[in-house]
Amino acid sequence: MPHQLALTIRARIRPGQADAVERLLASMADPASGRGIPFERLGTTHFARLFVLQEVEEARDGKAGPVIPASLVYMSDVDAPVWRHLLGLVRTGGERLDAVLSHCEGWPSRATTWQRVAWLRARTVRADTVYVNTVGRSVAQVHDERRLRDAIEEFLDGKQADWLGADPVQVHGAVRRFVAARHDLRWALRPAPPPGLAFRLRSTLAKVGWPLLALLAAPLLLVVLPVWAVLLRRQERREVPDEPRLPDRQRLRRLAALEDHVVQNPFTAVGFAKQGRLRRLTMLAVLRVVDYGTRHIFNRGTLTGVQSIHFARWVAIDDRRRLIFASSYDGSLESYMDEFIDKVAWGLNAVFSNGAGYPRTRWLLWGGASDEQAFKAYLRNRQVPTHVWYSAYDDLSTRNLENNAAIRAGLTGAEAPSRAEAEAWLARL
Amino acid sequence: MAVTLELDDIQGLVARGYGTLLAASFVLLRVEQPAAARAWAGTLAGEVATAEPGRRSEVVQVAFTESGLRRLGLPEPTLAGFPDEFTGGMTAAHRRRILGDEGESAPEQWRWGGPANPVDAVLLLYAEDGAGLDRLADRLAGPDALAAAGLAEVGRLATSPLVGTEPFGFRDGISQPLLAELASPSTGERTVRAGEFVLGYPNEYGLRTGSPTAEDPGGVLPRADGAGQRSSGDLGRNGSYLVMRQLSQDVEGFWRFVDQASGPSDPDAGTRLAAKMVGRWPNGTPLAVSPEGPVRELAEANDFGYAADDAAGLRCPAGAHIRRANPRDVLDPLAGPECSVTFTNRHRLLRRGRTYAESGADGGERGIHFICLGANIARQFEFVQHTWLNDPKFAAMYDDTDPLVTTRQGGAGRTFTVQARPVRQRVTGLPNFVMVRGGAYFFLPGRRALRYLAQLPNPADPARRTP
Repeated sequence: MPHQLALTIRARIRPGQADAVERLLASMADPASGRGIPFERLGTTHFARLFVLQEVEEARDGKAGPVIPASLVYMSDVDAPVWRHLLGLVRTGGERLDAVLSHCEGWPSRATTWQRVAWLRARTVRADTVYVNTVGRSVAQVHDERRLRDAIEEFLDGKQADWLGADPVQVHGAVRRFVAARHDLRWALRPAPPPGLAFRLRSTLAKVGWPLLALLAAPLLLVVLPVWAVLLRRQERREVPDEPRLPDRQRLRRLAALEDHVVQNPFTAVGFAKQGRLRRLTMLAVLRVVDYGTRHIFNRGTLTGVQSIHFARWVAIDDRRRLIFASSYDGSLESYMDEFIDKVAWGLNAVFSNGAGYPRTRWLLWGGASDEQAFKAYLRNRQVPTHVWYSAYDDLSTRNLENNAAIRAGLTGAEAPSRAEAEAWLARL
Repeated sequence: MAVTLELDDIQGLVARGYGTLLAASFVLLRVEQPAAARAWAGTLAGEVATAEPGRRSEVVQVAFTESGLRRLGLPEPTLAGFPDEFTGGMTAAHRRRILGDEGESAPEQWRWGGPANPVDAVLLLYAEDGAGLDRLADRLAGPDALAAAGLAEVGRLATSPLVGTEPFGFRDGISQPLLAELASPSTGERTVRAGEFVLGYPNEYGLRTGSPTAEDPGGVLPRADGAGQRSSGDLGRNGSYLVMRQLSQDVEGFWRFVDQASGPSDPDAGTRLAAKMVGRWPNGTPLAVSPEGPVRELAEANDFGYAADDAAGLRCPAGAHIRRANPRDVLDPLAGPECSVTFTNRHRLLRRGRTYAESGADGGERGIHFICLGANIARQFEFVQHTWLNDPKFAAMYDDTDPLVTTRQGGAGRTFTVQARPVRQRVTGLPNFVMVRGGAYFFLPGRRALRYLAQLPNPADPARRTP
């Protein structure tokens, strides 16, 4: 099965048209409008979103600074390869995509498909940190395993009286025979293929290579890290966090109107990094470290104990002066933030404390998100409405996905399971 | 860290449910004449029972919605200090989605608190018996009293005498969070900080929940903390948020369904399935402690967990009502039992509801006037309702909602899974057994806050900016 990639495309919006684009995006979200891009036809897209970064003036040393023009951002989490997704997007998006992108500077409306793909490609931004809940699980696999589970559940429902007091190994065998007899489910008896060899080789190299490099650099790090820590602490004492106020009611309601329509939600936020070389470097270093963690350690279902995120990414833009954070997760924003505060406050602090206005931290990791209300206000104040958001499986939680995969995996053994294994497998249904 | 609660300023409902006062009624009010209503709030400051210990034969409590506070004359900047849930109200578009107030439970259908019948305040009256309640109600909420107070009655919610059982037939009110600063638990049960239920004190994060402040040159209110105007008073201190919802229960429909779903041949099977849905036997015995049958001695048992003996849900199903409303030590299996309790304690509800039964030609409607208190509506009430009760993905499930209380729409969420060996038992096609008939978010002010409301200037006063 292919691995997953994070695609980010950013295009400047023509002057004065940002609000028109937002309105267009809002109308695209309504299925009745007939303006939405049919992402479901791109069978390899897990999630996709379109949002506007409004024009903003960057404050420098308390004074007004340069203006960063408004831009449109497209993000998607797709099965490799990316070029296929881009081609499909342009082909399937057609006029509707055109309607949005025509508001962007330089969009070639009368152009061939390949010219448009090239235009999009040229505006691709590399994400600094990418989190994929389970690497190697494609959209096709998600849909197939869902069908498998639905069929098995129906099969079990059909004979509820028969199972009472039965031997779990017998029941497992009965299910296996049922699946084998169905030509549309027989594939489940084979395990899901892993990602391609090239990808796995590259991953192993990176997984081993980075720590080796760090080890080699250890003597240098041992000197640099304490100095950096002390300098950072001094900086922390000087920095001024946001006043802990909630965003205005209108803004909150606009954001809330887009949330909790299905069991999953998108979250998109953008903020300025704190000024100064030290903070900029810290941010980039932390993003590198987190990226290593998400790619090689937390790539099978959990992100340091938080299980509810499908995909997430951090993208530094505008010469690393601003940072975008985007994720797709299960449940409400309230529960999402609570989970993070309860379990990974230190991780949030490591990354987000480099953002201007973040609640005060101590030694990078302490404080910060532990101030529950200040942290929630900070996030809400930087949240961007995600008008257009697509999910290929918006009724499945991450734990559902993991469970479905485990149900399939329990069928693929050559030998019969032990009693304990059969019982544990049946408990998943 | 010893925290002392200002018991003489906190309304008593925070500290106790007045279980010995068997008769209660709740009077829903509209503010018609702000000046008279303000004076009325002032007199109530002397009338309301506080959290101080001591037996009382009658109790009065009062709470206001955001529209009520606005009509009394609280200015915009002060109102802006209240959280968005309170200000937007229970019927705001996003809120009804997450609470499940749609279809037949939509606010348009409500008898009170909906767009057609908004509520400004509620007067909660408790007495030892019906006669005492009538006297109390006449004195404080009779037609003359209300007219003099500039108030109109939106509705009067009568309640059934407190017997400890709710309309489906199950013992209720057993599980309540123990407030650390008020209770001294005899069992090993962990306490919860009072700041989770009353503003002005540390909550389960060790911090104080944000509290609305008001201009208070007269110094009526406690001082607000932090930098700011010296005349800034803490309006929220010693107050709490009171969530009230009238939930009607289809008792016949519930028992008909469980009897049918469990097989009409076995009369006990229906009760068994009902107990599986609730998580306790009708007499209160927790399934997690005694899965085979009810035990008289365990009827009030509340010091139990799920992690040690029932992680798989074989005793008390993972989606049972009480396990959803309070997941205890099994909320997060990855994090472990200790952490689970810590997390769960950040979403506890202090319940103060009473049942009701209307006598009517067709059997009469029965249900609960659900009431709960908390310092943070979004993190407590709304969180429990949305993320635990109504969420089909709770406990890694697919399409199971709270069998008892979720107001399901369409075909989704109508499954109830009873975990079992070797194979689970699944009940599908769950109808709704509860309908929402009314609701609102109220603020239960401290006594000084009531006195502050009394001395608010008239909004039309030229000395003040009009909102």
